[in-house]
Amino acid sequence: MDTPKKISEIQTAAVVISSIIGVGVLPLPLFAVKAGNTAAPIVTLIGITISLFALLIITKLGMTHPTKTIIGYSEEILGKWLARFCNIIVILFFALLTGLGAREFGAVVITAILRETPIEVTVIVMLLLAAITSRNDLNIFAYIHTFYLPVILSPVVIIVVLSLKNANFLYLQPLLGGDMGDMFKGSLTIAALCQWSFVLTIIIPSMLQPKRAMKACTAGLLIAGVILFMLVVASLAVFGAEETKKLLWPTLELARTTSLPGNILQRLDVVFLAVWVTAVFTTLFSGYTFTCYALTGIFRLSDHKIFSFSLLPIIFLFSMLPGNLLQMYKTIEVVGRMGLILTIVYPCLLLVIDVIRRKRGKRSAAAKT
Amino acid sequence: MLLPKRKWFVILIPIMICTLLTGCWDSDEIDDRAVVLAISIDKEEAEKEEIQIAHSGKTADLSDLPLIRISAQIALPGRIPLGPVTGGGGGGDQSPVWVVSVNGHTIDEAMLNLQQQVADELFLGHLRIIVVSEEIAREGVNRFMDYLKRNPEIRRTAWMVVSEGKADKFMKMAPQLERVPALYLSTVLDDAVDIGKFPSDFIGTFWSILSSNAQDAYLPYLNIKNKENVQIKGVAYFKGDKMIGKTNPLEIGLFMGILGEEKGGYGTFVDSPEIDGFLLVRATKRNVKVKTSFKNGRPHVRIIAHYEAMISEIEEDKNAKKPLNPKAINSIEEQFSKGIEKEIKQLIKKTQKDQSDIYGFGEHFRAKEPNYWKENVRTLEDWHREYENLTVQVDCKTDIRLVGMKSK
Repeated sequence: MDTPKKISEIQTAAVVISSIIGVGVLPLPLFAVKAGNTAAPIVTLIGITISLFALLIITKLGMTHPTKTIIGYSEEILGKWLARFCNIIVILFFALLTGLGAREFGAVVITAILRETPIEVTVIVMLLLAAITSRNDLNIFAYIHTFYLPVILSPVVIIVVLSLKNANFLYLQPLLGGDMGDMFKGSLTIAALCQWSFVLTIIIPSMLQPKRAMKACTAGLLIAGVILFMLVVASLAVFGAEETKKLLWPTLELARTTSLPGNILQRLDVVFLAVWVTAVFTTLFSGYTFTCYALTGIFRLSDHKIFSFSLLPIIFLFSMLPGNLLQMYKTIEVVGRMGLILTIVYPCLLLVIDVIRRKRGKRSAAAKT
Repeated sequence: MLLPKRKWFVILIPIMICTLLTGCWDSDEIDDRAVVLAISIDKEEAEKEEIQIAHSGKTADLSDLPLIRISAQIALPGRIPLGPVTGGGGGGDQSPVWVVSVNGHTIDEAMLNLQQQVADELFLGHLRIIVVSEEIAREGVNRFMDYLKRNPEIRRTAWMVVSEGKADKFMKMAPQLERVPALYLSTVLDDAVDIGKFPSDFIGTFWSILSSNAQDAYLPYLNIKNKENVQIKGVAYFKGDKMIGKTNPLEIGLFMGILGEEKGGYGTFVDSPEIDGFLLVRATKRNVKVKTSFKNGRPHVRIIAHYEAMISEIEEDKNAKKPLNPKAINSIEEQFSKGIEKEIKQLIKKTQKDQSDIYGFGEHFRAKEPNYWKENVRTLEDWHREYENLTVQVDCKTDIRLVGMKSK
């Protein structure tokens, strides 16, 4: 792209963190506990490790092709048509993910606070916001993520710390146990919640020093991982495994149970939801921006702005696909896990082919001389 | 370029005004809301006229559910005093709340009924307390929980209590310390937690324990005296979702001890041979550990309690010769510990007979002995069977450091 390369490492880390922390935070403990009962923290850790692995591969690819986005280097590695086919699937997936994310947001908002507002309105407002902001270039994208980072992180930390008052640490034991298959499946679901960090594939070329991307990404994912892990531990310790399984959004319940000392606020869910809107926004913003830029790359256009509004109806349509709430979560779970093929296996393949090709290229170059 | 920009504005401004100034879908003025502060759930006695709102005619499933009567305490916005009432002036006799009673097979049906009788939209966001009559608690409370959990307005920090006798008298009571009965009631409970009279047991905690398959739930057991003051009469303990028994007030202290609540608020009389007379010893602080093990294949629990106490009163005989001395204090400590050991054992035995593990020993076994748990226990009923045969050992140690402001 033509924009000047100015994104620093801290900004890159911020993009990773605030992309990951988003809609998925609310049902996260439910997914983890359903899969592993009291072993939920371990399930979360495995999930985070999987997504760390995925992120490292993406970063590695980006660092070996520091001037190109995933659209660019995949065409170089796989050949034009095969790569285009794969990339279009990736783009479709992210459009779907963004749509479902917006839908999940809408569902929470109309269930918990704005009960008279039609879900379409909350969804459209959120998508419109993402669409308008995605017209900016990637530097501003990174700025926005960095700017909102403290707002996203601090309340989560506050809620976790304050909820320890109600915690029963017996609920966290035994640490292990539970069915291995279920646990693995659950950790895939949690890894799926983290795949918004795929947006990195279009960020790295705009970094000031792509060489330092690895450190920034690892730091970013670890911070986000710690936050997710703390949330799972806190919900499990406060509610216990059996009760967590009965709650649709354990994190929200956690905020509802926690009160600020001194009865300043008897329940924190209002504060939490207000902040959570920002977290959802930055996440959807990442998905939306990725879709726009990736499409621009495929069609070899110089300006991504045409897509920012023309995508809106399609993403909105995606968000309206699931019928009811339970269907929606089923869809999110299935789509998310399928998506791991695109965000983990696909980059893996790219990396392997790339490495083999380079070796061969070197060998043939050596043979020629 | 200037002109088209301006034209844009001309179009944009009306659109902005239309969308931004319309306000919120969910706008709801505070005086258009019927704020429900408290709810009581009773069994409907006589075959009263039933308003059929959620069903037409008697369906087979519903006849299994006995008709309940719900009384709701609704705040009257104009009559709730802001700040203290001075001088007993005007409007002192008017109650700041309005109590409406309706019936239904479930809470939600009763709520629909209630809405039918109240003009403003019911708002449950300030619901502080749910009073359930003992009669209905003994039949099981699970069927009320679903509505309360599903409704996003209800706080997990609300209280649920079991009342001796009818529950709706709590709605109509007239406390002296506070104008609004529901607020007084929740203050009674919040303060009881603060001064160590009752373990922290919000409805959220109650729900968590109710869901657990290793512990039985408990609730405060309340009674009203003279229509105006509330008495915490004990702990209503459950087996599964059914209330099965209650303790006396002193046993609340022991129960809190087993739970490991740090703050102590109860005291007992101790009779010591070292001095003539008997004294009242108050527990101030506790530190309790529960250890799990197995004896002859049966689960065994060892409770290691460490109490800090103070002497708050001595009732001496008329011609007492032995004053309070360090040696006497040691023997008092011992007596006190022995008393606690004995009474804790008694309390546990009592609940064992009722198969109600309100102490969460099951949670300890589930957490610390996962293999045993996996092999022997699947459900709460399994645990009840194991719990009945559980053996208990109590080791109590007491430190009396302070004796108050008297030298003897």
